[in-house]
Amino acid sequence: MAKLIGGLGTSHVPSIGAALDKGLRDTPDWKAFFDGYIPGQEWVKRHKPDVAVVIFNDHGNTFFLDKVPTFAVGCAEEYRPVDEGWGPRAIAPFKGEVDFSWHFIDTLVENRFDPMICQEIEVDHGLQVPMELFWGKPDAWPVKVVPIFVNVIQYPIPLPSRCYEMGRVLRKAIESYDSDERFVILGTGGLSHQLQGARAGFVNPEADQAFLNDIADNPDKLAGMSREQYVEMFGSEGAELMMWLVMRGAMDPDVVVRHKHYFVPASMTGAGMIVMENRADAASAAAA
Amino acid sequence: MSKRPTIVLLPGLLCDASMWDAQRKALEPYADVRIGDFSQLDSIEAMARSALALADGPLVAIGHSMGARVAMEMVRLAPERITKLVLIDTGIDPRRDGEQEKRRELVDLAFAEGMEALADTWLPPMVHLERVADEALLAPLKDMVLRASPEQHQRQIKALLDRPNARLGLAQIACPTLVMVGRQDRWSPLAQHEEMAALIPEAELVVIEDSGHMSLVEQPEQVSQALLRFLGFGNKNDDTHGVATGREEPMDEEAAPDRIPDTPLFDRKRSLRGYRINKMAMGLGDPANREAFKQDESAYLDRFGLTSEEKDAVMTRNWQEMVRLGGNLFFILKISAVDPVRITEIGAHQAGMEHADFLRDRLGKK
Repeated sequence: MAKLIGGLGTSHVPSIGAALDKGLRDTPDWKAFFDGYIPGQEWVKRHKPDVAVVIFNDHGNTFFLDKVPTFAVGCAEEYRPVDEGWGPRAIAPFKGEVDFSWHFIDTLVENRFDPMICQEIEVDHGLQVPMELFWGKPDAWPVKVVPIFVNVIQYPIPLPSRCYEMGRVLRKAIESYDSDERFVILGTGGLSHQLQGARAGFVNPEADQAFLNDIADNPDKLAGMSREQYVEMFGSEGAELMMWLVMRGAMDPDVVVRHKHYFVPASMTGAGMIVMENRADAASAAAA
Repeated sequence: MSKRPTIVLLPGLLCDASMWDAQRKALEPYADVRIGDFSQLDSIEAMARSALALADGPLVAIGHSMGARVAMEMVRLAPERITKLVLIDTGIDPRRDGEQEKRRELVDLAFAEGMEALADTWLPPMVHLERVADEALLAPLKDMVLRASPEQHQRQIKALLDRPNARLGLAQIACPTLVMVGRQDRWSPLAQHEEMAALIPEAELVVIEDSGHMSLVEQPEQVSQALLRFLGFGNKNDDTHGVATGREEPMDEEAAPDRIPDTPLFDRKRSLRGYRINKMAMGLGDPANREAFKQDESAYLDRFGLTSEEKDAVMTRNWQEMVRLGGNLFFILKISAVDPVRITEIGAHQAGMEHADFLRDRLGKK
């Protein structure tokens, strides 16, 4: 059966992609941010996952307000970068893990989640940037992807607890998938930021640091918070953080944190990264 | 025994009483119905005074197109007399750039080639695109235009070109108001009526389905039913059979403060309010649209039916205002792909701060 080897969390700020495109990686604004990801990239190199399930939100690039799916799952052969207004970025298209996507959709529906099914869909920085942060910018991606789109823009957005529950179904799907592929799950978005209204520019480094601790040690607390609490604590767009709960819900209650990184501000955002493994796996690896 | 109310029906440019046949028949069982005649007048104010002189005492004013501008002028002149107001397929703004030239061409055409030539040019854009060849609809309209003269047309065009800015008076309209528009009205679009309904304190909006600008004759039954319901007559067909389809709550951003201070959540109301702006901005994901935006921004915005308020906000890059009008940053950010500005500058603008202060105080930059 397929194997979940790790849960990754990261911001997906579009300026990160723009900074890479413009060669700003080593400028004072960005160097510390990118350097903090090096341990995460090394972890990926060492563990060689075959499949990345990426939970993110579209930012008015693929979906318009005419049709807003609360949860959507991609099951395409390929996902191309969408034109966000600046032309599509020069990134290799992402290869889909079509069989698993359909298996996951089946499992979701059997477990009373009813997603939109997307056989042809483009992806924006919400998926691109996390992939680049962990895998760099290869000519061809060494990993297949399964995109999960969550609506965190048009209210009503889903409950944080619902994201957490979806993670449990994702775990079931991986554990019941007949394959020897190695999976990682990327929860993306956040951390604190607000783009709209007079509170624009709001960041909350203390809350962000606490979130990076709680996502590992106290996820039930994060899943129990209201949407309003997310907005209040992390800003209107910081509510994206609830998407990390899909990743966390798929893991064991007991995890070890391999790497963690926090940097503020990346553009207008408190940016963070985490790499976690289930403690049971970490222990057996140590014993072997 | 209560007195029957008096209703005045106010026709538009080149239109006469025949436009109101269906509505007159529907309303006559319940009210004294008078119909304005503006064929000899050349100003909106004179038309309003003549309509006010059609009866004594309280009136219900129902106007179509230019007639609705007359109705608004009646409210301005004699607010105490107008008990209810209905504005159909109309507008509130004064003369637009270039309007005078276009209108003058038609005036000249009528004098040079006659009313038939005018009818053939002027009428088709007034009706639903799919009915421009519908003789049953067009023939009576054409007959009506032929009953008018080039001189009448010239007088009424003068009245229209010199029309007052009705926008300024909308907030003062105190009586219950029904704003009505054909969904496919190409001359005075739905967006314009949404804005009017939002600006008039006690207004409701009804959208007439499958209708262009001439809704009175394109969908006479829908219009009559909406009038009967609004005026409380007859009480039949309530909420059925295609009547009163687009009823919407008036927008009022100020009424509900953000639950979290200064943090606008993109809820149903904002999404509806900002739909046009966001759709326009979403379009900028397409290179051809970006080019169109660069070439002629105003024309590009018009394609999406932006109100003049929305256009101003976009064209002056007033981010704060765009968000207030329902723009969502993820969509409107694409404007910055065409006309570059940093997102932190957009943030600073909304926060009402200098950019450097914003970077330092909000984002903690050294």
